[in-house]
Amino acid sequence: MEFVEKRLMERAKRGDRDAFAELIEIYKDKIFQLAYRMVGNRQEAEDIAQETFLRVYANLQTYDESYKFSTWIYRIATNLCIDRGRKKRPDFSLDEQVEGTEGLDWYSRLSSSDKTPEEKVVTQELQETVQQALDQLAPKYRSIMILRYIEDLSLQEISDVLKLPVSTIKTRIHRGREALRGRLQFR
Amino acid sequence: MECRQANVLIHEYLDGDLDELSNQHLQIHLQGCEACRRKLHEFQLAVVYVQSTSHVHVSADFTARVLAQLPTPTKASQFSKWLRHHPFLAAAAVFLVLMTGSLTASWFETDDTLQVSSSNLDKLKIDKERNVVIVPSDVTIEGDLVVRNGSVEVQGQVQGNVVAIEGKVFKASTAQIAGEAESIEAIFDWIWYEMKNIGNDLLPVTP
Repeated sequence: MEFVEKRLMERAKRGDRDAFAELIEIYKDKIFQLAYRMVGNRQEAEDIAQETFLRVYANLQTYDESYKFSTWIYRIATNLCIDRGRKKRPDFSLDEQVEGTEGLDWYSRLSSSDKTPEEKVVTQELQETVQQALDQLAPKYRSIMILRYIEDLSLQEISDVLKLPVSTIKTRIHRGREALRGRLQFR
Repeated sequence: MECRQANVLIHEYLDGDLDELSNQHLQIHLQGCEACRRKLHEFQLAVVYVQSTSHVHVSADFTARVLAQLPTPTKASQFSKWLRHHPFLAAAAVFLVLMTGSLTASWFETDDTLQVSSSNLDKLKIDKERNVVIVPSDVTIEGDLVVRNGSVEVQGQVQGNVVAIEGKVFKASTAQIAGEAESIEAIFDWIWYEMKNIGNDLLPVTP
């Protein structure tokens, strides 16, 4: 995988748009997922994902090849999410209707597997609770929890992305877990 | 072990960092401490919940929209892309560049000394004062005779071509040349001559 990305990067660097399009295809959902869980808003998450790829393209020539491409793109996306969060708090609900699609809310576009209506309701409630719990975390904890448990990065990879020592990442994951446990209020 | 201590170990356990000995200590504490047991379970649940959030996907036209926003490619990159899409023309262009390059180079690199190439060098007479190579009347040269920076005077027989580069070919009445006799004096003649040679080498049966 890494080798493929390296080849694609080299081609994109030489101005090959097809190669860049392939890189987008590989990363678009991962980056969107990160942004969506960070800002809790689909439209804004897409904007952030788009901005991430535009920045990657603009900085192709200065890309330091000693980093993995994934590390680099996750760093750009995480920084964009945190900057965006500073400017504006999420003001968008998952229950909002999707424009031009009567009776459909974002959940219906989010859920992928087929489930019975009851199951779906439970899942939706749980999804919302989890997203709310994430939203309540400070961004520096939220980003790490998302990178660790949704994007499935290792502690070392997160440390590379955020340019922080592994010990700091561990401390934040511990606090993040404490906070999530408190917010999710298990009984 | 106190619960505060156990809590640290629980987090290390969840990170997969716990060594065998500490793990033993933690397990012993957990067996006797209902509160810590529940805590560990709730941490695990919290993680599973976060992991189970459904995977979201960007809208279908995402890639196209990003590509549309990229700055327009430069002339140079458009050219290289065009070349990649037309490999045959690219190869032809490279061939032409190299061809003209090597031909002009071999023209300009020549010095002024008299150079003769023939398979029967010993039978030729060379008149250094007039800068002329002479094929004596009683001599038969097999193969081609090429002279550079000088003229050729043919009195005898040549069974191939006679070529004088930057010189002239003089034929005596007794001369017999099986091939062609030509003199090359300008760069275009030279290129033409080389092209013809390549052609002849590729198609050996030309009349």
